[in-house]
Amino acid sequence: MKRFWPAFLVLGLLGLGYLLVPRGSHSFFGTRLLNPKPVGFTLEGPKGPVRLADFRDKLVLIFFGFVHCPDVCPTTMISLKQVYEKLSPEERRRVQVIFISVDPERDTPEIADQYAKAFHPAFLGLTGSPEEVQEVARAFGVYYQKTAYRGPGAYLVDHTATTFVVQGGRLVLLLSPDKLNFAQNPGYLPKVVADLRALL
Amino acid sequence: MKRLLPILLFLFPALAQVVVEPGWVRLVPPVVPDTAAYLTLVNRGRTPLRLVGAETPVASRVSLHRDHQEHNHQQHNHQGHKGGHAVLGMRPVPYVEVPPGGKVAFRPGGYHLMLEGLKRPLKAGEKVELTLLFQGGLKVKVALPVAMR
Repeated sequence: MKRFWPAFLVLGLLGLGYLLVPRGSHSFFGTRLLNPKPVGFTLEGPKGPVRLADFRDKLVLIFFGFVHCPDVCPTTMISLKQVYEKLSPEERRRVQVIFISVDPERDTPEIADQYAKAFHPAFLGLTGSPEEVQEVARAFGVYYQKTAYRGPGAYLVDHTATTFVVQGGRLVLLLSPDKLNFAQNPGYLPKVVADLRALL
Repeated sequence: MKRLLPILLFLFPALAQVVVEPGWVRLVPPVVPDTAAYLTLVNRGRTPLRLVGAETPVASRVSLHRDHQEHNHQQHNHQGHKGGHAVLGMRPVPYVEVPPGGKVAFRPGGYHLMLEGLKRPLKAGEKVELTLLFQGGLKVKVALPVAMR
């Protein structure tokens, strides 16, 4: 028996080493930010002000868009719904999807929230005064501008269509609109789900 | 009837020239007054085919749009990538051309028919009638299902 001890020792060390391997060895599909930037905001929800800090214990997925957007925004929102539905109920409790309208002129907090909730009842829609929205957009590096202006209330908005993933008040992951276009790339859905699970 | 035959023969190739592979009309939240329709146009003819517009009883206007994502940094700094993120938008286009023997797919992130000013909220599963208008006066009717996809 004694001569087996070195073998036991080696096996034990290997086991210990395996346990010590960092569990973050998941290779991210989205853009992982290695130097997570602190972010925060206070915006208007349907029932009053909402702060990003209210969701500190959750993984928050934020998408900036506008309600009168028939192609890009629903494509991402439908994908976020599909991602959310792939998660277990327990995982969903630790995830919050937030839609922020960059078109406060037309979208009230109620409209923004009804829009978000039409994709999934657990989603939240927010907006704010034009100044507030501008400030939040600047903090996230989001760009938006009115285009194809045909008159008051009849225009489109070009906007950054990245989905931002925030954890503990810090921006940790970016998902580009291509990576969330499951209508064109159905194979991306499990990859995005795996990214979220790696963060949860 | 005999006199009609040459006319019918003349019309038939025109009808056979375009094949529409059905897509869907996107189900949008009831607060949204506009939606998008997707389909694929196939040109079986020997001449280019131009879709110039469409009509539907459920919306006051239908326009052709194409999504764009510009990558040009110097020229138009207001479009493309800003701070490393893709900026997306869409633009109306006057027509969509399908080359002879080719096809054009209308898909999220590319071309779509924008149904502007919905007269009523659409329901999942219902069929929306769409009349496609081509250059030269050809009209093709299609019925697309409403789905959240």
